[in-house]
Amino acid sequence: MQLRTRIAVTFLLLLATVLAVALTVVSHTNRQNAAHALTEQLQSGDKEFHAVLDLNVRLLRLAARVMADDAGFREAIADRDTETLVSVLENAGTRIDAPMVVLTALDGKVIAASGSRAAIGQTFADPTLFTRRLDGEGNIEPNDTVVVEHGRIYQLVAVVINNPLPVAWVVMGFEIDQKTAQELKDITGLGVTLAIKSGTGWSDVVSTEPGTQGPRSRAETRRIGLPDGPAATVVVTLSKSFAAAMLPFDRLTEYLYWIAAIALAVSAAAAFILARNITRPLQNITAAVDQIRAGVYDAPVVMQRRDELGSLAEGIQVMQSAVRSRDQSIRRLAYEDALTGLMNRAAFNTRLEEALRAGGDGVAVAVINLHRFRRINEHLGYTVGDAVLKTIAARLTAGPYPVGQVARLAADQFAAFMPLRATDSLQTWGATLLVRLSDPIVVASQPIDITATLGLARSPADASSADELLRCADLALERARREKRGQASYEPAMKPAERDQLSLLGELRQAVDNDELRLFFQPKVELASGRIAGAEVLLRWQHPTRGLLGPGAFIPFAEQTGFIRQITRWTLEQSLACSAVWLAAGLALPLSVNVTVDDINDENFHLRVANALARHRLPPSLLTLEVTESGFIDDPARAIAMLDALAHLGLHLSIDDFGTGYSSLSHLARMPVHEVKIDRSFIQGLESDAEFAAVVRSAIDMGHSLGLQVVAEGIETEAAARRLTEMQCDVAQGYLYAKPMAQAEFERWLEHRPRVPVPPAARTLTTAAPGEGKTLMVL
Amino acid sequence: MRGAARATRGADHGLFTTLCLCMGLAMGLVVGRAGAATVTVTLNVAATSVGPAQDAVVVLDPVGVVPPPARESVVTIDQVNKQFLPQVSIVRTGTGVSFPNSDQIKHDVYSHYVPKIFELKLYAGRPTAPVVFDQPGLEALGCNVHDKMRAFLGIVDSPYFAKIEHLSRTGSVSITVPAGRYSVHVWHPELAARVTPQPLEVRADAAALSFDLDLSGIPDPKAAWPWP
Repeated sequence: MQLRTRIAVTFLLLLATVLAVALTVVSHTNRQNAAHALTEQLQSGDKEFHAVLDLNVRLLRLAARVMADDAGFREAIADRDTETLVSVLENAGTRIDAPMVVLTALDGKVIAASGSRAAIGQTFADPTLFTRRLDGEGNIEPNDTVVVEHGRIYQLVAVVINNPLPVAWVVMGFEIDQKTAQELKDITGLGVTLAIKSGTGWSDVVSTEPGTQGPRSRAETRRIGLPDGPAATVVVTLSKSFAAAMLPFDRLTEYLYWIAAIALAVSAAAAFILARNITRPLQNITAAVDQIRAGVYDAPVVMQRRDELGSLAEGIQVMQSAVRSRDQSIRRLAYEDALTGLMNRAAFNTRLEEALRAGGDGVAVAVINLHRFRRINEHLGYTVGDAVLKTIAARLTAGPYPVGQVARLAADQFAAFMPLRATDSLQTWGATLLVRLSDPIVVASQPIDITATLGLARSPADASSADELLRCADLALERARREKRGQASYEPAMKPAERDQLSLLGELRQAVDNDELRLFFQPKVELASGRIAGAEVLLRWQHPTRGLLGPGAFIPFAEQTGFIRQITRWTLEQSLACSAVWLAAGLALPLSVNVTVDDINDENFHLRVANALARHRLPPSLLTLEVTESGFIDDPARAIAMLDALAHLGLHLSIDDFGTGYSSLSHLARMPVHEVKIDRSFIQGLESDAEFAAVVRSAIDMGHSLGLQVVAEGIETEAAARRLTEMQCDVAQGYLYAKPMAQAEFERWLEHRPRVPVPPAARTLTTAAPGEGKTLMVL
Repeated sequence: MRGAARATRGADHGLFTTLCLCMGLAMGLVVGRAGAATVTVTLNVAATSVGPAQDAVVVLDPVGVVPPPARESVVTIDQVNKQFLPQVSIVRTGTGVSFPNSDQIKHDVYSHYVPKIFELKLYAGRPTAPVVFDQPGLEALGCNVHDKMRAFLGIVDSPYFAKIEHLSRTGSVSITVPAGRYSVHVWHPELAARVTPQPLEVRADAAALSFDLDLSGIPDPKAAWPWP
């Protein structure tokens, strides 16, 4: 049931109950009042009846007296002739309208009678009629009574005849007839019924209520005996029906019912209006609440009321604005990075989609990853980490040139996008971003070295949706990281490789087992002389179905899965085997083999290397292990210990991707390395960017100052080679000289090319360092 | 006496009374001379309803003796101010009563009952002849046109009677009668019943007796009359 209906119905039921009770009480009281009034009326009617009767008797008596004092009548009375007397009496009766006239002696014996069947000589009627009394003046007091004759009721009035002494009574009988009864009724307002004794019962003689049948209740009647002597043969019944007594009260009740009905109707209307006044605002409020639930907060919940509903509306309005502000902050949290105030991934996606929809020449997307950021948090605390992130955010967003919209995607990952003209270079934009992050970050007077890697992608060339673009940029980032470059742009080739990684592990195992991996060699050239200083061993996978795959297609995956150890082991084994064959053939060429963090973290790695060297009877100096800078970040002390152990074996160590990672000078100084390799990203920017050139130069200088050989990789042009030569870079590697080659090809390529002579010590099998022999034996 | 009575026509009440008394005394003297005695009758009103305001009558009825014949006489009952005057009269049988009308209005004197039924139709002045009452009894007189007018006329055979006028609590009268035996009767208009007569032996000396009258009942003068 609706609230409105419920309120109204409750109200009405209450009112109806009250009215019903009131009406019941009034009705009951009315009945009582009516009964009381009836009783009183009957009582007073009794008195009135007697008074009227008495008055009537007086009048009759007066008439009789006048008659009795008439001289002629008196004279006639003296005449003892009965017939004369009767005629005289008749005459007198006619005169005063008395149908019955009886003359009696003073003792009541009938002398003559007219209109009565009284027998002469008999005492007439009630003897008390003739009892003589004296009033205060000595007059004889009259008597009166009623008598029934011929079924008629007569009021008898006796007067004494003074002739001049009292000689006789003349009794006049006046009939109490319908007319008399009616007069009595008119005066008393009560029904008058006269009944005479009829056997054992009573029979009505005269009644003003002829229509009334059946006995009336005692409450409705009053019986009055008339003075007709001891016989008591006449009784008067005064009556009034209860219904008649109720008549005025019935009117009252009827009015009350009308009032109640009108009150009910008015109340019903009022209740409905009132209820509506309550429920309509409630409906408004409900509607407003529904709006709020639907997330619409600007519908005002205004109610010009001062009552509770007004307060409720006000409260809901307050709640609405509270919900709105909370909603906004939730939205902010949802779309904004709380720490930096940049967009988060969701917001970035949305904005990017918008930008893509906006059209134009295309949108460039960069995913920026901070190297080793976790270590900053761990070692310097989250406060510093947060400060670093904030600084990076600030640098990315504020700079001399606009770099587009910037977002923070994850802890150490940022992203940016910017609409580019078709002629704009994606790389240049990426470089601009990188440069912004190249300055050291100082937090609380502490300089923090942090480097970033960029993955770049652009629409519509690479992808057209935000997700795809980001994915492409991610892939490029992955490539950049893997290739230790500052930045990388997406290439379509990246995609399938990535896509197929899932089945890769199984295939990779097969590759190792089935010797599907191939060693490729890229020569390292001494810049100063152009002689061959050595070669870097690179892996290729001769995939049975997909052909020859580069390391990018499976090495990152191997690193992720830990399978890299087997690969490293295999590579090392194959490299050493190859080296041993070459050495036996008189070719002492130092080979550089890449090892990974996993290998460095393997505490038995140095033993395995020593064992392998020993097995192939190779001098350690022919082996260079290239370790990426990132390999030292997680646990520098442990890494350095491993490097120490390896260096102790007599082999060479090289820092790969130098410049991209976390290589503080202090660390570098402590490391037992022989060589640093400047990352190809710096070399590629060497010719176009003076800043990069400066970096390369300082890296070379730094390497030299630490007594290290400096290797530059990724050299593709003569100009770069010249610049590096000028910078006194020691060794170069790149397509300019040779791309990586399979063993046979490499061997052919190597023929007739001058080589940097290898020290004689390296030409023979090195004896293990003291203390290591035992281990060697075990291995 | 008739002449005297005529002569006293128009005389006042007192003169008439005096005349009666003189006549009585004269008779008493006659009787007394033959051995007469004076009987004093005293009436005491024992109880009264309204108080006696009328005359009481005392009659000594000789027993066994025929009283001397009455001489013709006329008594007057006047009508003054719509009242009979006197209202109680006692006469000897055979007395004529004159009913002069002294009022300026007419009266109609009647008696409808025994001992004498008569009516003097509306008249003024003196009727031509007095009404002679030759039967003993109590005559109730009225006026047909004035209901309040009422008078009693006692007619007795005995010549020995007297009135005690305006009897109050007590009153007495003396009557001189010859010696002998008498029956003493009393009557009063207010009596409800006949008073028992008292026998009296009158000797030479005086005698006295008294009656107690009860006037508290409903008056019935006819019934109270000592004779039927």
